[in-house]
Amino acid sequence: MTDASERAIKWSYMDHWRSNGPAGPVDQWHSHRTMSAFLKQVKAVGFDAIDTFDFRIWQMYGDYGGPAKYQEMVQDHGLERIVNTFHAADYDLRSYAPHLPETHDNILGDFRVTMGRWSEIQLDNIIVMPATLYYDMEPITEDKLKHTAELWNKVGEITAGYGVKLTCHHEFFCGIQSEPDIDTFYSYTDPQYVNLFVDTAQHCIAGLDPVALYNKHAHRVSGFHFKDTRHVATGDDHRHRPDSEIMAPTTGKWFYEMGTSQGLVDFAAMMTAVRDNGYTGWISVEHDKANKEGGDYSESTAISRWYAKNVLEEIYR
Amino acid sequence: MSGVRWAYAINQWKPQFDDFVRREHHERALKTISIAGFDGVELTAGTGRWEPLGNPQQLAANFGSVAGFGDFVRSCALSAVSSWVWDPAERSMEHLTGPLSPLSADDVPAIVEKARWYAGALAELGGSVLVVPGAPAAGDGDPLDDAALDQLAATWNAVGEAIGQDGVQLALHVDFLSALRHDGALEALLARTDPSVVGLAIDTGELTVAGIDPLALIERHGDRVRHVQLKDALAVDDAREYRQPAAHWTVRVRGGAREVPRWFAEPGADGGLVDFPALTRALLHADYTGWVVVESDQSPHPAASALLSGYLLQRELLPIVEGAAAGAPGDR
Repeated sequence: MTDASERAIKWSYMDHWRSNGPAGPVDQWHSHRTMSAFLKQVKAVGFDAIDTFDFRIWQMYGDYGGPAKYQEMVQDHGLERIVNTFHAADYDLRSYAPHLPETHDNILGDFRVTMGRWSEIQLDNIIVMPATLYYDMEPITEDKLKHTAELWNKVGEITAGYGVKLTCHHEFFCGIQSEPDIDTFYSYTDPQYVNLFVDTAQHCIAGLDPVALYNKHAHRVSGFHFKDTRHVATGDDHRHRPDSEIMAPTTGKWFYEMGTSQGLVDFAAMMTAVRDNGYTGWISVEHDKANKEGGDYSESTAISRWYAKNVLEEIYR
Repeated sequence: MSGVRWAYAINQWKPQFDDFVRREHHERALKTISIAGFDGVELTAGTGRWEPLGNPQQLAANFGSVAGFGDFVRSCALSAVSSWVWDPAERSMEHLTGPLSPLSADDVPAIVEKARWYAGALAELGGSVLVVPGAPAAGDGDPLDDAALDQLAATWNAVGEAIGQDGVQLALHVDFLSALRHDGALEALLARTDPSVVGLAIDTGELTVAGIDPLALIERHGDRVRHVQLKDALAVDDAREYRQPAAHWTVRVRGGAREVPRWFAEPGADGGLVDFPALTRALLHADYTGWVVVESDQSPHPAASALLSGYLLQRELLPIVEGAAAGAPGDR
């Protein structure tokens, strides 16, 4: 591989993982041994770094002595660092809902505390789903989009104070997932404080062309999840109660690794667009729930990185 | 050891006869091997339509031709099939033949013919080593006497000379059930064979389970090593159960009286008994050139085994090799 310092694009692995322990499936946070095995596999296939989840910070403090100490372990395995964290909030209409102004103080307080916890390492992005579940926000009105934008403008100002970009990841089942609503949302947000994080599969499932969406908002994009899907949502898939992500009746598994057969995302076109828009820096690879329906995280991670190396890096590296 | 190439063995992906038969399974396995940092793949011989990678006829049936399979391998970003592991004692549905024995002079022509069948295809796939069991299992016959050793040597000399015409070398494999495990048998066989056509395969896991130190074997016979298989050992057959009849099933598969759940694992596995950095240095010291095939034999998590092996290769073993090439002290 070309030396990382010479490449326009570096690859980070979003750290969804399961392996099979003697008592059943475990994630990498199960023990230092399982964490080491995870990091070894990510490094072996040629990833440069990892992304992680905000809620893992408790295990970082409890098992490793904090984010900096955990990042040292990551680096001991030959990976550069932790690039992004995903703030997976528990949205609730009573206390934590971006379209409801009465919950904003609580959310802003959460981010002030959260950014302090991460401040001992330097992240690029903190990623959020910018709206509640679709069924908790509908009908999606312009006022709700405005209130939501106002919140994230303020949150982005907080994260910017820590040198971290606030970036929005639009799940197909969240309140802001259609192209008109995404366009409206970004028209009300401040480009200085609110960025777009393009998840190729989520947009594809929502019926959008992720390449076209990226080209339209390229100046706002601060990162990507490259992952694939074999299905576009139909009917009420995006608003299925109580959950669309793993409980929609139509589809048992929405997400697949980049490089899967029958994938709907045109990654060659995506990578061409990344090149033509002059993007440099990190692309994250993700395949959450890869173990569903007989899948295997190790294999999916190998296949996705094989595709990045042998197909996408031939377009742009 | 700049002439070393690294491959990974495909056998761990096929735990049962009806597993790993579909093209997409093969594609994902080969891509996994490639992205883990390996250059080639080692095949294991098999027979019948559920062994798509088992022999030249099945390759042709599934990929159009042997060359078509070569294209498939390269499309997965691997450069070659390194080697083929073949046991003449396995029947052939393609030839309607039963077990062939290297202890039988009558079987030699058929063994040679079949060895050339594999070697010809292997050469077309960029490979260079046919790996065969040096002797039948200890529990399936009498201890090897001089006459038996003479016949074994004659068989393997004939096979080695024949496949040399295809540009393929013969490497004798000593598994932990082998009759060659008896004191002195391996040394006696090597002494009887022609070093120019019959070489030795070092299988670190099998030798360790057998109680044979692979490092010592490399020190004694480094000039005879034509193939290396790196796998770890998780237990030793110190009760010498290998002498039991049908030990292939009762000991290797079932785990013997202790019901050992897994004799072998990928290099560096928890509890592994093999020192792979030391082995790499020993191979350097012996000026070994050729394929080093990493394997787990069988794994409950094949992709994880391949990736963990890739990490060991990239982070520990290759630096030793590259350090030696650069003349770093202590690496030879």
